[in-house]
Amino acid sequence: MQLDFMVVFSYWQVLAKGLALTLAFTVSCAVLGSVCGFLLSLLRLSKSPLIRIPTGLYVELFRGTPLLIQLFWIFFCLPVVFGISVPPYVSVVLALTLYMTAITSETFRGALKSIPSEQHDACTALGVASWNKVFYVIFPQALLRAVPPLLSNVVSLFKESALISSVGIADLMFVGQNISNSTARPVEFLSAVAVIYFLVAFPLTRLVGVIETRMLRRYAY
Amino acid sequence: MNYQFDFHFLTGNFGALWEGLKVTLQLALVSNVVGLILGFGLCLLTLNRWFFIRWPAQLFIEFFRCTPALLQIVWFFYCLPMLFNVFIDPITMGVLALGLNLTAFNAEAYRAGVQAVPREHLDACVALGLRPWQRTLYVILPQALRTALPVLMTNGISILQQSALVAIVAVADLMYVGKSIATEAYRPLETYSLIALIYFALSLPIAQLVQWLERRQDTALAR
Repeated sequence: MQLDFMVVFSYWQVLAKGLALTLAFTVSCAVLGSVCGFLLSLLRLSKSPLIRIPTGLYVELFRGTPLLIQLFWIFFCLPVVFGISVPPYVSVVLALTLYMTAITSETFRGALKSIPSEQHDACTALGVASWNKVFYVIFPQALLRAVPPLLSNVVSLFKESALISSVGIADLMFVGQNISNSTARPVEFLSAVAVIYFLVAFPLTRLVGVIETRMLRRYAY
Repeated sequence: MNYQFDFHFLTGNFGALWEGLKVTLQLALVSNVVGLILGFGLCLLTLNRWFFIRWPAQLFIEFFRCTPALLQIVWFFYCLPMLFNVFIDPITMGVLALGLNLTAFNAEAYRAGVQAVPREHLDACVALGLRPWQRTLYVILPQALRTALPVLMTNGISILQQSALVAIVAVADLMYVGKSIATEAYRPLETYSLIALIYFALSLPIAQLVQWLERRQDTALAR
């Protein structure tokens, strides 16, 4: 068979639009999910089982089921449950944000736990009040340590966002599949889309490594 | 919320769901076997001293880690038959796509374990006159496996969840069966909730086991 990769370039505008939509969903859900995930990680440290158990269950449930099911559940079931029509964009953002919240809360929890107990002891010895301890001693270190895994979470969110094509959102994956079907050239277009995803995600994963080796060594340890 | 739950329609569909579950388990288990074995091999390749072996192996890993799993699956299903002019049955193809994806992730997981094998052990291998394959199989592999086990198991769970993606290319796994039941019976809420619970019930015990293992390793390190 004949492969002609030049044909991809005549569709670059459509592909760029798809990429823009993918990036828009990724960035907005990453920001929303990180904030919610941070709050959730604080809730999970609570002493009351009434808060700890439901939040823990939420995290386990979203980490223990495929994102595709979560997406379909929110897309098809939420309107049935509440008897309202939810626009597709909203339900997709909701699904990705809930997923990001769950994985991010685990990241923050790990970072908060990574602060050695000696620091807590030192705060007690110095008579630092508990809220001051949290704000001036624990948070700054924990947040810095959470940066690399948080970035990795954003990369996985970026990859997982390809799933929204299955409910008909015209993201990069959807556009790529559409063009490959209509031109009957799946090899060229699907490979091109793969390369585009790679070109966005790969530098980000490298950045994680750079931050870990350079920034954290200097400031957090 | 005034929705009437009705699970009666499911009674006639248990057979179909069971068949779907079997396909999902088959995909997940075989991909894990592929990923555990090839992952170790690939990890050794990335640590090879020759640049021309190291570099393609690393590229393979990065490419699978930096592109969506859905795209990989769609690519395998559409492009492999066209490129090589072969017909592969859908489940084998699913195992191939998921297994290679897991191989890339597992190779990264093994790497830390392989690098953590103390220099002295390798010297001891030389002293004892072990052949390279004996060193790899009896000295490096067991230690790497032990260190990497929690991550390998977590990767295994995530491949179980990624296996739901094959539903999009019409492989009749649990997700696909659920999707078609939901459309036929017009009962998405009950069906999708049930499917989600099945996936959850499959992954929760393994996730708990991983936590237990991690705690054990932490205490072992603290000692």
